[in-house]
Amino acid sequence: MDFSSVKATLDSKSYEKVADVCDNLMLQVAADGIAYQDDWPYAIHLLSHYYVHDINSARFLWKSIPSSIKESQPEVAAVWKIGQKLWLRDYAGVHEAIRGFDWSQDVQGLVAAFSELYTKEMFQLLLSAYSTISIKDTALFLGMNEDDATNYVLQQGWTVDPASRMFIVKKQPVVTEQKLDHSKLQRLTEYVFHLEH
Amino acid sequence: MDPLEALVAQIQGLSSTSSDVNRLHSILKQADDSLRSESARLSPLLTQLDPSIHSLGFLYILEASMSGPTTKAQAETAVPIATRFMAACSDQIRLAPDKFLSLCRRLKEQVLMLDAPIRGVAPMFTGLRKLQVSAEHLTPIHSEFLLLCLLSKCYKTGLSILDDDVFEVDHPRDLFLYCYYGGMICIGQKRFQKALDLLHNVVTAPMSIINAIAVEAYKKYILVSLIRNGQFSTSLPKYSSSAAQRNLKNFCQPYVELANTYGNGKVAELETFVKTNAEKFQSDNNLGLVKQVVSSMYKRNIQRLTQTYLTLSLQDIANTVQLNSAKEAEMHVLQMIQDGEIYATINQKDGMVRFLEDPEQYKTCEMIEHIDSSIQRIMALSRKLTAMDEQISCDQLYLSKAGRERQRYDFDDFDVPQKFNI
Repeated sequence: MDFSSVKATLDSKSYEKVADVCDNLMLQVAADGIAYQDDWPYAIHLLSHYYVHDINSARFLWKSIPSSIKESQPEVAAVWKIGQKLWLRDYAGVHEAIRGFDWSQDVQGLVAAFSELYTKEMFQLLLSAYSTISIKDTALFLGMNEDDATNYVLQQGWTVDPASRMFIVKKQPVVTEQKLDHSKLQRLTEYVFHLEH
Repeated sequence: MDPLEALVAQIQGLSSTSSDVNRLHSILKQADDSLRSESARLSPLLTQLDPSIHSLGFLYILEASMSGPTTKAQAETAVPIATRFMAACSDQIRLAPDKFLSLCRRLKEQVLMLDAPIRGVAPMFTGLRKLQVSAEHLTPIHSEFLLLCLLSKCYKTGLSILDDDVFEVDHPRDLFLYCYYGGMICIGQKRFQKALDLLHNVVTAPMSIINAIAVEAYKKYILVSLIRNGQFSTSLPKYSSSAAQRNLKNFCQPYVELANTYGNGKVAELETFVKTNAEKFQSDNNLGLVKQVVSSMYKRNIQRLTQTYLTLSLQDIANTVQLNSAKEAEMHVLQMIQDGEIYATINQKDGMVRFLEDPEQYKTCEMIEHIDSSIQRIMALSRKLTAMDEQISCDQLYLSKAGRERQRYDFDDFDVPQKFNI
């Protein structure tokens, strides 16, 4: 089997494209009648779904993996453990599952990229959902020890309330593109004009 | 000369110009019965033909060769040939859509027999695109493709054709199955609004008698509508068939009762109801979806709180929606914020939640873009409706029927000429 397309996508760090590349390749080799299961990079395929937040596809992929492979390849099972935690929204568990396995060379890069992305997204979630949050919970959500977590959020302008050992979250103003170009307004005006006459 | 050899020679000779191909088509139609009776001898002939040049002839012979009963070993050789044909064939195949469809069905049966539905997904997709005249055309292959996607768990691949808007349908059954399987694909991917739309199409489609697809679709329609909208009304829109309006709910009693129990807003009651009826839901393969209905109720109840309160303690939320602890309530609220289902901020220090307004102010570029594309879509739809209306008002059948009814009821029409006759 020719995995060069998957490898090239990984090498170029276009991680958000890996899932589609894997999906298409799988359909292709299956249609060619190749018994692909034993050599298929299931670990990378599962991770690539996590990377684009498609936990549903990851779950269906896991269900289609032959049980012999689930048992004989501990790395695939370890990747799925991350998936289970994502599915259950066990935020701290995701970080634990990522740390809990000695990833092989092929998978390392994608795991690290996913971990970085996930930490960023967790920070954004805390930012949007909390006004105050304990140091302990922040550390769990970000998958760091309390000191690292404190450093991380202080850099983003959060402050500590020493009495309660809580962070006070500093909201960042959301910048959205609001500048309208004339053609769009013109078009909407034409619609309304058309409806009224 | 052997008649089969002669036929192959004709296929080779008559595959270039369109008039030749038409002549070949009538020869093939005549030869079809004899091809079927010799189905075992046909596969060697295929090596003398090129699927991309002699597509029509190749299709007739391949379809006949796959028509008899098959063993696993035979399927193992036939499936790759059919797969290669799908990829290589030209639009000659549109001359014989029934044959092409039959070939697709045989391919589906044989990959299922080999216990490898995933082998059929890509060829079926290629075949679908080759047979359809435009993306708006629903072919019978659509539902076969979606079924293979479901069986091979390639749900995401199935989504790819569900984004096409369908305006042309060959047979009603195609639409029923397409929307039903499509609904299941969307449920699997948790695209509940799209699933609801598709299932809605099934239960409101014209039907003279109730069919099994509509009944199963209605069950899922009830469940998805509870998950997505938190409510369900048993009355179908006026334009749905009277068969559906009268009968559907009688076939889905436990589901209608489930919806009623949901309406009471009490999680414990709903859980008891599900437990006592679990077997029925299980036998319909809907238990997983029913469980999602139960967990959606927590969300629904929390959402209801946002309409009444500006701030509320986590403990109060836990008590009102029957969660075990303040921490559990916090996690539910957090998940809902993450999914954009509510707008709120959690204050861990005071154990309070503050509910906020939707921050969308409808003035970003993105929103204008979104509104604009919706308007464009509606305008396109409106143009289609006008065109269809004009087409129907010129239709012979319609005019003769409308004309007859007018004669029957409109007495003035008879009066007028009589007056003039005198």
